[in-house]
Amino acid sequence: MTPDLGFWTLQTLNALQLSMLLFLLSIGLTVIFGLMHFVNLAHGALYALGAYFAATIASTAGFWVALLVAPLGVAIVGMALYGGLISRMRKSGPMAQVLVTFGLIFVLLDLTRIIWGDLALAINTPAALSGRVEIFGTGYPAYRLFIIALGAAIFSALALILSRTQIGAMIRAGVDNDAMAACMGINVERLFFIVFCVGCALAGLAGAVAAPLLSVTPGMGLEILIPTLIVIVIGGLGSLKGAIAGSLIYGFVQTFGAVLLPGIASILIYALLAAVLLLKPVGLFPAKG
Amino acid sequence: MFRHTPLRYAALIILFSGAVFTAFTAGYFGMEILTEILILAILVLALDLVAGFGGMVSLAHGALMGLGAYAFVALATKGGLDPLVAAAAAIAITAGTGWVIGAICARSHGIYFIMATLAFGQMGYSYFFERPFFGGDDGMVGPGRFDLSFIGVDLNDGRSFALFCLALLGLVYLIAVATLRSGLGRSLTGVMHNEKRMRALGLTVWRVKADVFGISGAMAGLAGVLAAQHILFISPNLLHWTVSGEALVVVILGGLGTLVGPLIGAVAFVVLKHELSHVTTYWHLIVGLVLIAVVMSRANGIFGFIEARFGPRTDRLIQSIQTRDDAKEAVKDA
Repeated sequence: MTPDLGFWTLQTLNALQLSMLLFLLSIGLTVIFGLMHFVNLAHGALYALGAYFAATIASTAGFWVALLVAPLGVAIVGMALYGGLISRMRKSGPMAQVLVTFGLIFVLLDLTRIIWGDLALAINTPAALSGRVEIFGTGYPAYRLFIIALGAAIFSALALILSRTQIGAMIRAGVDNDAMAACMGINVERLFFIVFCVGCALAGLAGAVAAPLLSVTPGMGLEILIPTLIVIVIGGLGSLKGAIAGSLIYGFVQTFGAVLLPGIASILIYALLAAVLLLKPVGLFPAKG
Repeated sequence: MFRHTPLRYAALIILFSGAVFTAFTAGYFGMEILTEILILAILVLALDLVAGFGGMVSLAHGALMGLGAYAFVALATKGGLDPLVAAAAAIAITAGTGWVIGAICARSHGIYFIMATLAFGQMGYSYFFERPFFGGDDGMVGPGRFDLSFIGVDLNDGRSFALFCLALLGLVYLIAVATLRSGLGRSLTGVMHNEKRMRALGLTVWRVKADVFGISGAMAGLAGVLAAQHILFISPNLLHWTVSGEALVVVILGGLGTLVGPLIGAVAFVVLKHELSHVTTYWHLIVGLVLIAVVMSRANGIFGFIEARFGPRTDRLIQSIQTRDDAKEAVKDA
């Protein structure tokens, strides 16, 4: 195999697509952590839930409705979780939070198995995006390009909201020093709630978007959890910049590692994580210095 | 610091006699469950040593156990070593690996420590999953159990093997207690409560953490060697992070930082798992709900609850001061 332009284009697009999927997941997780110091291991389970909602809705109402409704459904589940569990665990240590959300993974995993069964579901890519697009002479599935565009759009929107709007300023203040932000008259609790729901909705969106690419199985949440955690730890917790940088690093290392260094590809990313933690124990772009 | 209260002695005596009683009365299936509990108990003791007394919540212990199993099987079948020698070498390897992981991760705290150990664990999992030399995802067949005929013991008999595991579990427990009572263990507890102060006192903090992690790694390796002999087959799934996660669940379920609690947790977890999987395939759901309930109740697991309820007032006082300090530290770490 001689790597030519087509090869590089294809692999770069693959890497970008993986990165964007991970970005949708990790941004919610990282901002929730940065703002609330809350480690939500069940984030992957919410992603799986999004995929299941999308698969169910798409079979009756079509893909585009599913893409809109699934994140809303996951956000509602998120609200219930926040009210029932998360708000009560806010003051506990990270250990207790890790364990409660670990328990939540078990519960959500088996609930999806009870409701949707053990068999994998599949949904078709929408007709409008089922074709291929020519890029530098290489055909690439339009649906994957759509994921890249969607990820980029969400990133831009979040970057704008965080840096230019009042609520963005409030979130940044909350991440920086929540006690001080509360003294300045910001309703930090409500802010937490909103951010948590948006994070859940983005996880649901990621699930809905991933559903046509991967088969929808109960274990998909557990599979994506580790890559997502690697992304946010490499990038540094709590920052948008960290989430996008971590996602891109993971996507490119994983994709190019698999084709260029197949023997050590799977170890590569973990070695990278260990190296980052050794050199910069709080990640590359942490929200706080 | 670790203390044996009368309540802890009582729990140990009940557990020990329960294990011996089961070993002499249970049928084949009961013996398998007993052995599974004993091996899991060794692993969770190793985890409690680092997590409960050093604040190092490790997600690498499943991988350390798997490494012990792989090293033992590979050295015995491919290296042609005598199983006893191979087992000793495997334990030495996991001790060394544990020491290195502990030394590297010593600077990380809280969620970063969890992630760093997770990374090392998953690195091991991927490695064994992909190496054809170690059987890849098919796993490997073990060399059989130790030949102890020179002292007149046949380990291929289920009861003898269970009692052998029980003896080793007792040994591991004594080593854990001795470690905690030594200067090393006291330094470790000091580091958990206030790392800065211990450093100011002139302690080489990373060495303390690495040394205890190494001891804990050796214990996990022993659990791996026994697991490989128990089921006579090993696969990369032994190293998967969910194994470490389950071990952590057992420690929490039983009572973090009590040594006795995790033993109770191991019994409860394995029995619950087997009983529930008879009734429903969704036993994870119930385990998850139990875990959430235990953590949210704010008791320190089953044994922590018993101690708080029935322990003498003084013990309760010490416990409450410790947990308050722990909570403060945890908040600081986050």
